[in-house]
Parts: sequence; structure tokens; C-alpha cells
Amino acid sequence: MQTLYLAIVILALLAIVCGAILGFAAIRFKVDGDPIVDQIDSLLPQTQCGQCGHPGCKPYAQAIANGEAINRCPPGGETTIKALADLLDLEAIPLDAEHGSEAIRTIAYIREDECIGCTKCIQACPVDAILGAAKQMHTVIVDECTGCDLCLEPCPVDCIDMLPVEVTSASWHWQQPEQLIATSNLPHSRGESDHA
Amino acid sequence: MHKIWNFHGGVHPVENKTQSNQLPIIVMPIPAQLTMHLSQHIGKVAKAIVETGDYVLKGQLIACAQGFVSANVHAPSSGHVSAIADRTLPHQSALSGPCIVIDTDGKDQWATLSPTANPESLSKPDLLNLIQAAGITGMGGAGFPSAVKLQPKINIHTLVINGAECEPYITADDRLMREYAAQIIAGIQLVQQLIDQPHCLIGIEDNKPEAVAALTYAADQHTNIEVCVIPTKYPSGGEKQLIEILTGKQVPHGGIPADIGMVCQNVGTVKAIFDAIILGRPLINRITTVTGKAAANAGNYEVLLGTQVADILAFAKVDLAKTSRLVMGGPMMGFTIQDTHTPIIKSSNCILAAADLELAPVADHHACIRCGQCEVACPAQLLPQQLFWFAKAEEFEKAQDHNLSDCIECGACAWVCPSQIPLVQYYRYAKGRLKTINSEAQLAEVSRLRFENREQRLVDEKLAKEEKRKARALTAAAAQAAKRAANPSAEDPVAAALARVNLKKQAKTNAATQKSTEDEYKELKTAAAITRTKLNKTRKALTNAQAQDHEQAQALQQTVIALTTKAAAAAAELHAYEAKLGLDPEKEKTLQLAVAKANGVVRKLEKSLATAENLQQLEAEIFNAKAIHEAAGLALEEHQANAKEKPTSTQES
Ligand code: SF4
Ligand code: SF4
Ligand code: SF4
Ligand code: SF4
Repeated sequence: MQTLYLAIVILALLAIVCGAILGFAAIRFKVDGDPIVDQIDSLLPQTQCGQCGHPGCKPYAQAIANGEAINRCPPGGETTIKALADLLDLEAIPLDAEHGSEAIRTIAYIREDECIGCTKCIQACPVDAILGAAKQMHTVIVDECTGCDLCLEPCPVDCIDMLPVEVTSASWHWQQPEQLIATSNLPHSRGESDHA
Repeated sequence: MHKIWNFHGGVHPVENKTQSNQLPIIVMPIPAQLTMHLSQHIGKVAKAIVETGDYVLKGQLIACAQGFVSANVHAPSSGHVSAIADRTLPHQSALSGPCIVIDTDGKDQWATLSPTANPESLSKPDLLNLIQAAGITGMGGAGFPSAVKLQPKINIHTLVINGAECEPYITADDRLMREYAAQIIAGIQLVQQLIDQPHCLIGIEDNKPEAVAALTYAADQHTNIEVCVIPTKYPSGGEKQLIEILTGKQVPHGGIPADIGMVCQNVGTVKAIFDAIILGRPLINRITTVTGKAAANAGNYEVLLGTQVADILAFAKVDLAKTSRLVMGGPMMGFTIQDTHTPIIKSSNCILAAADLELAPVADHHACIRCGQCEVACPAQLLPQQLFWFAKAEEFEKAQDHNLSDCIECGACAWVCPSQIPLVQYYRYAKGRLKTINSEAQLAEVSRLRFENREQRLVDEKLAKEEKRKARALTAAAAQAAKRAANPSAEDPVAAALARVNLKKQAKTNAATQKSTEDEYKELKTAAAITRTKLNKTRKALTNAQAQDHEQAQALQQTVIALTTKAAAAAAELHAYEAKLGLDPEKEKTLQLAVAKANGVVRKLEKSLATAENLQQLEAEIFNAKAIHEAAGLALEEHQANAKEKPTSTQES
């Protein structure tokens, strides 16, 4: 009988000690904010375009954390869906066409002599990438522009163009070699196989 | 005799060096035009400091290094700057980059040079400055600015000089070592002086006995310079491989030689350092091998930087009709040039004009049979077939985990591969994609911060505006009250309205409801805008699709129809909500316009006040205009306040 009591006492003590350690750790190593939302947010492309139906990437991250589908971000495309699926242990599903399709990255350019300085595009830009003041010519800081298209609609004189990002010698890189034989399992070929 | 180690892997391609190393270096005449690229090096593009039409002297600085990792560019001969424009880069992409084009005048007139008679007196910063000013970059291939490489953070005990020249066909360093041995040794001494007298090992492959003899003779008097003969094996001239051969030590993964106390320099680079410090001459020329079966006068040429490949080909009597492939660099690591107007840059060591069948034609490649030969050949001790699978499956992160960045793109794996897979291109592709992915991640991080800052700013601005509005309304009310106290009979409609507003404001109990209403309104607005944008986009896509593909167009048509109804619904919902809120965006806009107009009138009058003559009249006018502005402002505020109050009151009632 005594051994039984002893066992109970020891187990109880053990439970108290472990509980105390866990409790302490929970306070000591508390993580601020919602880590899963931040993790999801860090996988989204941060274009802030709203095509997913949310006013920015962070709100969509929040929505995903609350169970929304992961295939609504066209700028991120397959890569983002794959990354999200990995993170959340879900199945990678194809992009929801209703929210748009994956397109090449573009950047906004204001045709400066046509700009009337109405500041409407500045108000629309989610990342403050447009520089200008009332009645002054406006211009886009190309390094900051995410290519979200949101400045196009408000412009009353349609002087904003979305142009594809130019390939420079710094950003250029080799393409995957062309697949030359039928037994290959690669879906499609990509470039020339000219390899010196 | 210094002990020699071995490195893992390596291959023995046919050397093909005798075609070009038999004759002494020939100095090529000055071409009519020189095209100086502003980025002949790794790092930031140099900035042009001359203008079109300027006359420049030989050796004059024409473009300044920008930032720490960058290099100066000098005029290789005297003449007029005829253009500063984009020209084809000597790069596998064949893209264009900024260039200074000089039309030479044939006088080849030097700028004033400042040679150094007794270099022993120079301090380390002096030496570094001279090397930096001369625009010297690694002449072996990569083109990394030498002045940066020669400022190691830790103590250097061994200086490795690379005279291996392991790539087939190329003999530029071979001839350089034979003919400029004394200068090379003097250059090495300068580098030793600069980095605390490390022991120097010169590595030369045993297929260059004349070069070995010349350097051994020149280094005879110097106890801390050793010439080491190493077995011929490709790629013994790789920086990390040469270090392993000469010292038996391995540079850690992802590290640089300086991490283990060593610095590696090419023989061409130390010769350039000699020229820069002792003769005061900047880097304006180099030795380039012209070889291949299509070159009648194969050999080594001293060419001015900026000389176009076409000029060199003509001088070396290359039969372009016979040339099946024109390669810049060697057969293992070089790249095909399409445009013969491409100029020579600081790192161009060879032009290979290969006749038919001289280089293996690009063959059909087959599936990897997992034979493992590539792994045996890889000098970087990687798993090439594994990297290949990852690159092919676009699993770039896994490739990174398998040390893709350690691949020196030597091509040994592709050379042995029985399936003839262009492995190196796969690695270059994977490296390129990784770079893009990283830069995109950086950009995304910036965008995220900017987005968050903006959200914060908008909230702050809104709060501040609200505060200000409240304060203004209060003072106005106080003034009205005072006025009424003085003259109780006159009932001002504006004041009455304001008082009403204030009363309601003060009794504002339903702040939470109001906030959520506002949020709801905003959400509806966003939703309407987004559906509109989407509709526009799909419409555009539809027009595109209609032009090409019928089936897809039909599907898109469906989407457009669906979206149109959706957009209409969203707009309707928004309008309904606006009506419910008592919001009238149209009216608000008109009012805003009135305020802005009145404000404009005030500003204008105030401006003319400074110069005006009949001051009193103007002042009166301004007073009037201000009054109008004030009234307009109040009307707008009231409108806005009403709109906000309404839902609260409807809910209350
Ligand atoms: S669709 Fe646009 S806003 Fe939404 S997550 Fe993607 S990039 Fe961000
Ligand atoms: S400039 Fe236009 S396209 Fe670029 S981020 Fe701003 S709103 Fe988007
Ligand atoms: S190219 Fe890269 S993977 Fe292939 S052998 Fe050379 S270092 Fe190894
Ligand atoms: S040498 Fe070629 S076939 Fe053999 S394992 Fe390597 S990649 Fe595959």
C-alpha cells in the first residue's frame, strides 16, 4: 500500500514540476502576434493587388489562417500555392481562375507629359511607390512598384502603362536546356541548349 | 621541390595548345574604333565621366568606379568619344550594356603617367590606391576587382599565383609567362609587400616547360617565391582546386580562400599590377589567344581593350566561312558569340574560331543512366546527377542544399557524361532562378514593410484629421454661441446646424457601431473596385484569346458574363449601402470642389496682395473669399457629419 502512495506522490510531484516548467516557458518564450499568419504572409508575393479579394496580402494571410482556399493569389501562382501547401500541409491545388491568371511581372510607368497631377494614383498605390504632388507631374519609383495595377483605374487621363520588367545583363540567366528526346518526363521545353 | 597534392575528380581533354603557343606575342595595330564597356568587372557599373565629342588621351580615366566593388575604365588609345550608348556585351546573354565608343586618331598619345621609381617606399594604402585607380580586375576569367581582393580581413600566409591555364586551346598566360617573367615576379613582390610578405607559390601545369623555366630563372633570387610544377589535369586552374593542389587545404563550402589565409591571383593580374605601379599605366590592354582550325594565323595577340572581335578575326586571318562556332573563352567554359562587334574586355582570354567538327556538336541528349561518372569527375566534390535532377524538377532549394553554389561550372561533368546531358546549363539555370527567387523575396519584404507603413500612416492621418475637425467645430460653436449671446434674436442656420452636430457628437455613444459601418462601407467599396478590375482584365484576356484560340475564348466569355453580373451586383450593393448611410458621394464631391475653389481664390488674392496697389479693396475681397471658403468648409463638414450620424440614428430609432 505504501508503495502505491509513494508512486502517487512521486507522480504528482513530477506533474507539478513539469507543469511549472511548461508554464514558465509559455510566459518566458511567448511569441508576439500570430505566428502562422506571419508565416503565411511571408510566402505571399506582397504585390498587394487585391486580386485574391482581400485588401492586401496580410488580410489574405489572415483569411487563409481562418480556412480560406490557398489558390487565390494570381501573382504568386503555382510557386506560392506549392509553398503554402507545404507550410499548411494541404494539397497543392491549381490556381482559381476566377481570381485571375498568372502573368509576367510588370511595372507601372506614367507617361509624364500627359499626367495632370491629380494625385489619384498616389492614393491608390498600396506601397507608396508613386511620387508627386497636386498639379505636379507624377512618377513611379520603379524599384518599389509591385506591379499591382491598382493605379490604372483611378487615373482620369489613362496615362499609366504597365510594362514588362526589362531583362538586364544582371537579371538575365540561362534557361533550362531543351528536352530533346521523347522519353523525358519534363512537361515542356524552355530554351535553347546551346552550351559551349 | 614543393610537395604537390591532388584534387578530387578532373578530366583530361585534348589540350590543343600548340596551335597558338609557338609564336611570340604579336602587338595588334590600333583599330579604328574602341568600344569600352562600363561593366567589364563583377560589381557596380562604372560611371562615364567624359562626354560625346571629348578628346581623350591614351590611359585617361573615362569612367569612375561606383561603390566598393567596381572598377575604373581608361581610354586604351587617344581619340574622340563618338558615342556613349548601349552596345552588345561579351556575355552569353548577348544583351546590350552601356559603353563609351572612342574613334581613335592613330596618334596613340599617352596622358601624363606617374611611374614609381622605388616602390619599396610605398605604403600599403598607396599601393592599394594605385591598383584601384588602374582599374585592375582578375584577368583569369571572373573579373573581380583586384583592389577588393587584396584587402583581406585576416592575415594572409600564402599567396597563390595561378599560371595553370588548364583550359584547352588557351595559351595567353603561357606566352605571357615566357615573355614577361621578370615583370610577373616584380608584380608578385608588390603584392607581397601589400599583404604582409606571405609565402608565394606559383602553380604551372607541366605542359608549359618553357614558362616554368622562365619563371624559375626570374624567381631565382627570391627565397619566398616558389615555382611549382603541377600535373596537367582540367580544372587545376580553378582557384579552389589550385589551392588544394599546392597546399593540400580545402576552401570551406561557400567560403573564399581568404578564410583559410590565402589569396589567389592570376599571372596576368600581377603583370597588370606591375604595369600600374612601376610604369604608372592603367589596365588598357591584354593578351588574347586567337585559335581554332578556322584561324590561319593562330597565336597570341596583345590587343587594346575595346577592340571588336571582328577586327581581331580579320587580323588573325580567321576564315569566317569555315568557322562553325565562334567561342569567347575556351571550349569548356566559354560561350558562343553571335555578334562579332562584341568588344574584348579585361577578362577575355581567348577567341576560339572552331571549324566543323572541331568542337563536339550539340548532340541530342538522353536520359541520365545514373552511371555516376559525373560524380567521379567533379572537382568540387558535388553530386552532379543529383543537382541535375533537382534543376530539372525545379527543386532549387534542394539543389542549394546540395551546395549548388560551389559548382564552378567547369563542365567536367558534362564532358564525361555518356548521355551528353548539358549539365552545366542546368546548373546555370538553377543558379539564375535561385538568384531571381532571392531578389524577389527581398523585393517582397520591402513591399510588405511599405504596405504596413502606409496602413499605419493612413490610420494616423485619419485620427489627426478627426481631432482637427472636432477642435475646429468646437471653436466655431463657441464663436457662434458668443455671437448669439450678444445678439440672441438672430438665429444663424449654419450655427444651428453646427450646434446640432456638436450635440450629437457629444452624445456619441455608439462609436463601435459607427466604426463597423465605416469598415463595412470600405469593404464594399473595395469589393466593387476589385470586381471591376477583374472584369476589365478578363475582357482584355478575352480579346486576346478571341484573336487566337476559339475554345479558350468561349470559356472566357462565360467568365466575363459571370463577372459582369457580379460587378453589377457589387455596384448595386454599394449604392444601396450608400443610400442607407445617407451618403451622397456626388454631393460630397461637389462640396469638396467648392472648398478647393474657394481656397484657390483666397490664395490667389493673397498672392496679388503683395504687389497690389489698392490694398483696402483687396483686403476686403480676401475677407469675403475667406468667408466663402469657411462657409463651404462648414457645409462639407456638416454633410460628412450627417452621413456618419445617420446610420447611428437609424439604429437608435
Ligand atoms: S492576390 Fe495580390 S493582394 Fe492577394 S495575396 Fe496575392 S499579391 Fe497579395
Ligand atoms: S505604382 Fe501602380 S502598379 Fe506600382 S505598386 Fe503602385 S499602384 Fe501598384
Ligand atoms: S560543372 Fe559543377 S558539378 Fe560539373 S564537374 Fe564542374 S563543379 Fe562539378
Ligand atoms: S554522367 Fe550523365 S548519365 Fe552518368 S550519372 Fe552523371 S548525369 Fe547521369
